[in-house]
Amino acid sequence: MIKLENVTKQYKGGTVALRAASADIQKGEFVFLVGPSGSGKSTFIRLLNKEESPDEGRIVVAGKDLGELSGWRVPYLRRNIGCIFQDFKLLPKKTVHENVAFALEVIGRPKHVVNKQVPAILDLVGLGNKTGNFPSELSGGEQQRVSIARAFVNRPLILLADEPTGNLDPATSVGIMKLLDRINRTGTTVVMATHDRGIVDTMRRRVIELDKGNIVRDQSRGVYE
Amino acid sequence: MALRVEYLIRETTTNLWRNVWLTVAAVLTVFVCLALFGVSILVGKGADSLTSQWKGGIEFIIFMKPTATADESNAIKKVLDESGTGIKSYKYLDQPAAYEEFKKLFADKQELIDSIQPNVLPPSYRVVPLDSDADAVAQLGKQFQDKPGVYEVRYASETLRNLESLTNLVRIGLLAAAVILLVVAVMLILNTTFTAMMSRRREIEVMKLVGATNWFIRIPYMLEGLVHGLVGAGGAAGVLFIFKSQIFPKVQRINLFQYFRVTTGEVWSTSLLILGIGCVVGVVGSTFAVWRYLDV
Repeated sequence: MIKLENVTKQYKGGTVALRAASADIQKGEFVFLVGPSGSGKSTFIRLLNKEESPDEGRIVVAGKDLGELSGWRVPYLRRNIGCIFQDFKLLPKKTVHENVAFALEVIGRPKHVVNKQVPAILDLVGLGNKTGNFPSELSGGEQQRVSIARAFVNRPLILLADEPTGNLDPATSVGIMKLLDRINRTGTTVVMATHDRGIVDTMRRRVIELDKGNIVRDQSRGVYE
Repeated sequence: MALRVEYLIRETTTNLWRNVWLTVAAVLTVFVCLALFGVSILVGKGADSLTSQWKGGIEFIIFMKPTATADESNAIKKVLDESGTGIKSYKYLDQPAAYEEFKKLFADKQELIDSIQPNVLPPSYRVVPLDSDADAVAQLGKQFQDKPGVYEVRYASETLRNLESLTNLVRIGLLAAAVILLVVAVMLILNTTFTAMMSRRREIEVMKLVGATNWFIRIPYMLEGLVHGLVGAGGAAGVLFIFKSQIFPKVQRINLFQYFRVTTGEVWSTSLLILGIGCVVGVVGSTFAVWRYLDV
């Protein structure tokens, strides 16, 4: 599902974010990316949905070689990839329903599909009773559930999560992880960058550890360190 | 598809309202610029009809009597051909040609045209002398005055020449102002589009994230630019019609400007041109903004 071969990414100014990184992630896997700040976790994730391009090496995502993917096809790649972030990236002037519906509208899904899928996904993430609320009226955990609903409403093959629990307290984080685990069990590949030792140690899934741009550990059913 | 159209209309109108004062500024600039541009074109057309008989350096016209015989006419032609030293060129307008010109001059007075037959109009020789000095021209023209068949010799007056250069000046001035304003309009639309996109950058970020195509993101902003251009141009076209119905008739009442004619057809064609320019200005301005901001 995801394949990196000797991928190197260097930013302007000389910082090497990723150095000759190789990894092979199968369909349906749940992978934690761990490592200190600046170790290259976010770059790893941004490379997968072609927000960044590598300087060297090859990346294949969902059967597409990203190096050979022309610019106008990138949006179609991204429809197969859901993304969630530490800061949720919700639109403050849209309701919960509208935020999720927006993701379907802008890729041209017809109205009847939007009206059917949005309530279903909001029920799935446990926000069926908050569809008319605005993000500012929700707790952090609830906001992250909205963002997960938005990322997953299109049933992507892959879910990328960049520190999704970074702003949440431990109890709330557990709820979010249960949700991500549930999504993973539907066959969606999940790649999650995190600092949260507790979560990694509890879930016992594959762990890829990065340090200064190098993959220093790749362990199935691993722990934080 | 239905959703797309609905989405486009909704997005475009929200954008227009969100920065309503910038929108107003952009529309007004397009409006003023295109109004000036259109008026300058119409003034040009009017001035053309005003001096159309005298275009191309023609300094005097020998009008023949409508009843002049071919012999009499040929005699004039012979003199013109022979006195080649003083004459650069000349052109003979026969009665059908004179009638065509008459129809053009009085295009908005159909009843006048209907009352005139080609055979009552005088044929004429339009003469371009080598030396356009008033005395030399008078000298040259005088010899035709009393020839048989000649009705009268008319000279391009000083006033007419002044009028021509004045209208040209006005025209160039209006055109220059219009071109400068056109550039300003493009930049204002660019800026307005840019502001609209900046104020919605979170939305655009999310749209990119979930896989909206670039065109899908761009089109509402480009439509917004198009609306700026079209609304401004529409207002400017209105101004042209006001000039046609209110201002030009007053101009014609001034003695010197009695031949100042702008037809309704010319107002329509100029309006269409202006609408076209409005579209281009709007789309070009917003497209610049969209392209600079929206690299994947």
